[in-house]
Amino acid sequence: MANHLDTHRAARISALLYTGISLVAALLFLLLTYATGKAYTPVARYGGAAWVFILTMIITMPLVIPWVQKRYRK
Amino acid sequence: MAIDEAIRRISLPVEGMSCASCVAKVEKALKNIPGVQAVQVNLLTRKATVEYNPREVSVMDLVKTIQELGYNVPQEEVLLNVRGMSCASCVAKVERVVKSLPGVTEVVVNFPAESARVRFYPGAISKSEIKKAISELGYEASEKVTGQEALDREREARQREIRRQARNMWIAWTLSLLVMLGMFRDVWIFPYFVPEFLSNTLVLWLLTTPVVFIPGWQFFAESFRGLKKGTTDMNLLYATGIGAAYIIATINSLWPEAGFGGKGATFFESAALLTAFIVLGRYLEALTRGRTSEAIRKLMSLQARTARVIRDGQEIEIAVDEVAIGDIVVVRPGERIPVDGEVIEGYSAVDESMITGESIPVEKKVGDQVIGATINKTGSFKFRATRVGSETALAQIIRMVEDAQASKAPIQRLADFVAGHFIAGVHVLALIVFFFWFFYGFDRYFLPDSRFILSPYSLAEIGVFGFALLLSVTTLVISCPCALGLATPSAMMAGTGKGAENGILFKGADAVEASAKLNAVVFDKTGTLTKGEPEVTDVVAASGWDEERVLLYAAAAEKNSEHPLGEAIVREARARGLELEDAAEFRAIPGRGVEAFWRGEKILLGNRRLMAELGIDINWLLPWAEELEEQGKTAMFLAVAGKPAGVIAVADTLKEYVPEAVARLKAMGIQVAMITGDNRRTAEAIARQAGIDRVLAEVLPQDKAGEVKRLQEQGLKVAMVGDGINDAPALAQADVGIAIGSGTDVAKETGEIILIRNDIRDVVAAIEIGRATMGKVRQNLFWAFIYNTLGIPIAAGILYPWTGLIVSPELAAFFMATSSVSVTLNTLLLKRFEPSTKAEKARAADKAKYKYA
Repeated sequence: MANHLDTHRAARISALLYTGISLVAALLFLLLTYATGKAYTPVARYGGAAWVFILTMIITMPLVIPWVQKRYRK
Repeated sequence: MAIDEAIRRISLPVEGMSCASCVAKVEKALKNIPGVQAVQVNLLTRKATVEYNPREVSVMDLVKTIQELGYNVPQEEVLLNVRGMSCASCVAKVERVVKSLPGVTEVVVNFPAESARVRFYPGAISKSEIKKAISELGYEASEKVTGQEALDREREARQREIRRQARNMWIAWTLSLLVMLGMFRDVWIFPYFVPEFLSNTLVLWLLTTPVVFIPGWQFFAESFRGLKKGTTDMNLLYATGIGAAYIIATINSLWPEAGFGGKGATFFESAALLTAFIVLGRYLEALTRGRTSEAIRKLMSLQARTARVIRDGQEIEIAVDEVAIGDIVVVRPGERIPVDGEVIEGYSAVDESMITGESIPVEKKVGDQVIGATINKTGSFKFRATRVGSETALAQIIRMVEDAQASKAPIQRLADFVAGHFIAGVHVLALIVFFFWFFYGFDRYFLPDSRFILSPYSLAEIGVFGFALLLSVTTLVISCPCALGLATPSAMMAGTGKGAENGILFKGADAVEASAKLNAVVFDKTGTLTKGEPEVTDVVAASGWDEERVLLYAAAAEKNSEHPLGEAIVREARARGLELEDAAEFRAIPGRGVEAFWRGEKILLGNRRLMAELGIDINWLLPWAEELEEQGKTAMFLAVAGKPAGVIAVADTLKEYVPEAVARLKAMGIQVAMITGDNRRTAEAIARQAGIDRVLAEVLPQDKAGEVKRLQEQGLKVAMVGDGINDAPALAQADVGIAIGSGTDVAKETGEIILIRNDIRDVVAAIEIGRATMGKVRQNLFWAFIYNTLGIPIAAGILYPWTGLIVSPELAAFFMATSSVSVTLNTLLLKRFEPSTKAEKARAADKAKYKYA
């Protein structure tokens, strides 16, 4: 039971971490679209940010989850 | 490696893995469980071998983790006869004990029927362990079903997967073709027969949606399960690819004014055909992958289902699993021999080709060994079972081939590493591609008349986001490392299977790889190159004597001798039909020979020293003796009544086909050497006959390994060929140890390659198979790497600035499917490969057929 709770907590921390990282990446993308000074459409800006968010989630999930689990086990 | 006693090792079957990343995903998830020490997952055998501490983790935890990833761990069910139960409490006792065994999920004991139905995870526990646990309670447990079900279940699972993907194919392709017709309704001759409503974007969206959510659902579901566990596989590549294409299509159809390219850039065919091509790849893989593991299936199908045994004087038919050691088994013509044993009555010829690869039936008489799974051809006979169940030759061979196929070759490690780290890398690449084209590439290079490769479809209306997203998605789709993951294991499976077909057992994939690199072969002499049994080769008669008389006197003197040379003389005399009588007196003179009296005459048979000491003048026989000794033979002088009568030469003779095998090895560029404890003159004589130039003579058995090491220090990759037991240290020292003529007790043998037959040409065949297999591995890896190395930059748009062409996601999916299917088909070509000796034999047989037709 305790083991199950630990796993649950580790999963929650991981989710917070990778979602946070992905949101930051998406936000950076959004800022970059303004920083370049080009006239991007809202679809391009927000669609692009969504795509960056998805790809960053996919990249970070397999890295963050085992890392958190390992730290939690220690 | 020694495993801690507390550590258990199990091998769980895993269904549903489709690629090398699935392997990495399962391995990673299992390794992440506390208490798991080591994990090895094999894609082709679909097994996960896990070493774990049962105090920290249970089999159920391991199974649950695998299931949570979306894979299936099939259970096995066994129906047992349980005799001796007397009441309901016995039922509870059996149920409680069996239920507590690791890996058992369900037990139902039926008291009136005296049976127990047990469900368990194969690999975690075996049927015999379950039976043993029941027997230890004091009941008699035996299996009700035959050993065929494993084969049936495996075939069923494969058929189920083929059926599932075939259903997906029908849905995906039917709807995708309609979408294609709708998308291109305005071009060529399509306006004449394609109804207008089909080009309506809402209709196209309605046709595309089921393609993405029915056949394509598997990719979303499987990748999500993996992500939840922190692992990725190539389903994720497909899911992001299909998902992105579908989202673009949906936005552009339902909200054309959203500024996403509008109705002119709906890409319905991308979403639909992308799914259709990926499903096609899955279907073709399911069809072809099973074929590479046919060797095991073939071997398993050889097992007889029933046996006719004599119990209490009655002949009864029982399941083959029920045959016990010592049972008398009756076999009739045309029947399959159920287990291994020794003939005790009758005579027949048995076709052993399925086990040994030898095509000519072997005669069996009382005292001869028979092998289970071989076919009785002519007569009926009875034999006593000596090895049953997992100890039979067939079971040992299956286990060895399975183990070999489950092992990983060193060359595979690179491919595994690349495939395992590929997915995350590809997503990073997709992100870079997206950033590049979004912020820089689109403004710098985009041309309104841009097109997809092999498509008339214009990208004029596409915006910066759509363009960057398309290239990013195409990069994801084309990067799938399926081919890379399949390249080595599929070829290894085919190669080890080809070996088993020819009576050559590779103990692991590393043995296949090492055999391909060999450039020196060292043969042990006695028993390997020679028959290991001395034979009379020459008889020289003195004047007044003839050959037969010389042999008769010598045999009479040696009749009661136990010396190998004496036995050879007696054997030869009998073979020539001479009637032997006992000598009146017999005396062995150690180191010299024998002395006997026969028909009133004194016979002396022995070496020069014996003759010299007893004053026999053999001077005029000496030239013959010396000539024979030059040929590596042992010359023995015969003197009768104090006068020389002749010389008999005895030698260990070369096995059949040795010169042929040596010549073939030399032609393959391999150095051949012979190692022996014999004196140099004898060794060189044998080597000359065999065609071997390099002789390592007068080497003590314990020094043979040192000699092999010396050759290795010269930079040679050395194979040692020996009998597997006496030569164990040398076999272990060599890069590849080849144990020859082991018969069927393969488990006992040392060495990485076991040759069941006693045919030296199989050494050549083993190296040829190793080379052919590694050739296939290299070809497969080359194509897989080339595909990804060329495909990824092109998909990322590297050619676009110059050509204005980009790869569409569906074309990327087509390339991806082609790469893995081409690798599997290339491997299947190995099935046609035959070792040179076998191929020549077949050609000669064909020639003979035409000649006499």
